Amino acid sequence: MSTNNQAITSEQFVHLRKNQPRFEGIESGHRACLGCGEALAARLVTEAAGPDVMIANATGCLEVFTTPWPESAWRLPWMHSLFENAGAIAAGMEAALKAQGKHTKVLAFGGDGGTFDIGFQALSGMLERGHNVLYVCFDNEAYMNTGIQRSSSTPHAAMTTTSPPGSERMGKRHLKKDILSIVAAHHIPYAATASVAYPSDLRKKIRRAMAIEGPTFIQIHSPCPLGWGHDGADSIKVARLAVQTGLFPVIELERSELIGSMPIRNPRPVTDYLELQQRFRHLFDKDDTRAVEELVHIQALADHNIKHYNLRGEGMDALDSDGADSVRRGGMRWA
Amino acid sequence: MKLTRGSFAFPGTTLGYKTGTWRIQRPEHAHRRAPCHAECPAGEDPQAYLALLDEGSPRDAWECLVSANPLPAITGRVCPHPCETGCNRGQYDEPLAIHSIERFLGDEAIAHDWPYPVTAAEANAPHVAVVGAGPAGLAAAYHLLRRGLQVTVFDETSEAGGTLFSIPDYRLPREIVRAEIRRLLETGISFKPNHKLGRDIHLQDLQQEYAAIFLGPGLMQSREWNVDGVTPTDLHEGLHLLKQWSDVSSLPEMKSAAVIGGGNTAIDIARVLKRNGVDTQIVIHSSLPDPEHPSEEDMRAIPREIDQALEEGIQIHDHHGVKRLILRGEKLTGIEIVRMRKLRNDKGRLHRVAFEGTESILHVDQVIPAIGQVIEPTGMENLLNGSSWLKVDEWGQLAGKDNIYAGGDAIEGNSGTVTEAVGNGRIAAQAIAAKLKQQELPAIDKSESIPFESLNMEYFEPAARAEQALLPVEERVGETEIESGLSGRQASREAKRCFACGNCLRCDNCWTLCPDSAVLKTEEVMVDGSYYVFDYDYCKGCGLCANECPSGYIRMLDE
Repeated sequence: MSTNNQAITSEQFVHLRKNQPRFEGIESGHRACLGCGEALAARLVTEAAGPDVMIANATGCLEVFTTPWPESAWRLPWMHSLFENAGAIAAGMEAALKAQGKHTKVLAFGGDGGTFDIGFQALSGMLERGHNVLYVCFDNEAYMNTGIQRSSSTPHAAMTTTSPPGSERMGKRHLKKDILSIVAAHHIPYAATASVAYPSDLRKKIRRAMAIEGPTFIQIHSPCPLGWGHDGADSIKVARLAVQTGLFPVIELERSELIGSMPIRNPRPVTDYLELQQRFRHLFDKDDTRAVEELVHIQALADHNIKHYNLRGEGMDALDSDGADSVRRGGMRWA
Repeated sequence: MKLTRGSFAFPGTTLGYKTGTWRIQRPEHAHRRAPCHAECPAGEDPQAYLALLDEGSPRDAWECLVSANPLPAITGRVCPHPCETGCNRGQYDEPLAIHSIERFLGDEAIAHDWPYPVTAAEANAPHVAVVGAGPAGLAAAYHLLRRGLQVTVFDETSEAGGTLFSIPDYRLPREIVRAEIRRLLETGISFKPNHKLGRDIHLQDLQQEYAAIFLGPGLMQSREWNVDGVTPTDLHEGLHLLKQWSDVSSLPEMKSAAVIGGGNTAIDIARVLKRNGVDTQIVIHSSLPDPEHPSEEDMRAIPREIDQALEEGIQIHDHHGVKRLILRGEKLTGIEIVRMRKLRNDKGRLHRVAFEGTESILHVDQVIPAIGQVIEPTGMENLLNGSSWLKVDEWGQLAGKDNIYAGGDAIEGNSGTVTEAVGNGRIAAQAIAAKLKQQELPAIDKSESIPFESLNMEYFEPAARAEQALLPVEERVGETEIESGLSGRQASREAKRCFACGNCLRCDNCWTLCPDSAVLKTEEVMVDGSYYVFDYDYCKGCGLCANECPSGYIRMLDE
């Protein structure tokens, strides 16, 4: 077996790093965990959004792992807001730029905690006032930065430190909040979901949102190996299965109307997705009738999504859940 | 407003922190042999030339192909393509049509007259004699030339090609054989026709005159055949008829014939006879191959050829033997055949048992044995020592002979394909060149090829295999070639189906999906054929790239 010729000098590495054929908004050296879905999602977003942007970033993992003082991984103007006010800060940045006659697009970044729960009021205000901001929610389905507490985005029956399974409950009792419908109900021009397992689709949606004048919202499903309890090497696999089972519908809404969805070519049973993650391990106790019932419940949720969003594909489609990530020699991706 | 020290940081400064120190595993590019490469008897790496074809460089693809096999237009037509049996894509949808691509590239090279990527040897280079201008001898000569040696090829006939001319035109048109061999000889191989070993040239003289000898004598003599000592007086055997057909395009008068034997010669002559209006049947001890259950008892002929023969209306009586010839005077009027199977006797040995009560009569006026060929020993008696094969080591060197090598059908254990002969020639040439230049011989790569399970199928889409157009049975007349080649468009489309097993597909997946931007894309292709390097200063060793590499080219190693 031959190995890669790694005998290139450190100067060549520096040269290469500076001359990568893509824009990288986040540099290496950030402190994200191994296989972090959010770090990947943030890089893909900045890559598609391009250099002429400013970011307001709510408190959360992304903020913490990219800015260990006095360093910063960001190669973009970036401002840390509080947990609850990324929407308000972004709105203010946008208003200030507008007053100066500048056209730099403002992005707001938040995790699911900063978006679904704590920052929701500021987000709603920003959307309602029609600011020209792209709000990106990195959805890893719990408060990972503070130690895996449940959020309103945590899926039903998942184990977190504040929704432990036991004699009373099988993990989180409540359902995952349908944030996209709530956001879309503000009648904004564009709201969409995306997944790190489908980078071309993700970048396409970012570019689309960037081109829209007005508030836009993208929710990106980003696995958290530590919080979900899976191997960091499996992050993409887990994210892909979330889409292929129907548990995370990849859809686009314009003015709250469904205008597109990624069809599922071969729907997979939800157990394929759940069994990879420790946060669902209590559902695999065959002697526990509650566990069996929850598995059936989660399958029903997936089936409901497939029916509600009409996700069932018909035959082969280059942009469905099996085709959208296909690769070609020479790296020619469709977006 | 003045920003205080704690309120800002300079952009991109995390680069000062080397997250590579966290790592307990490291990703590495690990080339593994694609199954098509491991399976090819000629030593081709189809994955490599498919890549070049996919990148839009058919000429580079052809040069890559002929770096192993100088006769692709020929082997692309007649090889049983074990590469396709091995192809990992066969476990996904259908294997790559590698033989069609090989033929396409060979035909393109002839059509555009692309010169072989070799230069003539220097005048003072050692000189090697090659005896026999069949596929083994020609391949040996070409590979010797590639390694800077002078070569002279001797053949007893007036034309180079050897056994290739006994393959009928409907499978392998002789103008293709002639065109490819002419171009090959023009590279600087000296060819001496009408030189027969033991008549015009002698081993002892060759040994004195040349630095080394390669023998590719083939099996040019038919095995003897009779039924209880009886043969019809006008017996024609299969190989002889094929040669006659190839040389003068005529066959003896006959209305019906029974061909005895299950090898390619039997199938070939049966199909030639059929094309000449002869009602033809084949009688064979062994079994018709079942792709699902390959067995040692299967006919030796290429399954594709057997299928086409059946399509063309040739009846094959498998598990049958000839019990008796029915003669009217000296003229054959039929044969009596009987069902037979190989069974073990009480000593555990396999022997054939004929079953009483299963006899039947075939009314034929010719019986044509094609039960195999043997070496024609003239001039090599001392090497053979009474054996019917040349015995060689894995480099093709004759046991106990310092500078004599051999390859092709005449060596022991050979499967009798053109492709294997080409492979024998190439390997022997490598050994001869190393010996004459006093270089170390590299070990023959016997590494396991990469299994299907090591690939990631999420990144591929089903796509139909390119099929060569096949003449309908009613149009298969005369010498017309029944399969036509792929178009350039079909070929490059087909090349896109390749998974690049164990090699870099350059798909950007590792570069796109690394959460730590620790995979860097390079400007130039790296020596390992990839366009990526790992930046171990920042790689945390998560293994995501290895999991998501579609072609199994990245492996994780413990630090």
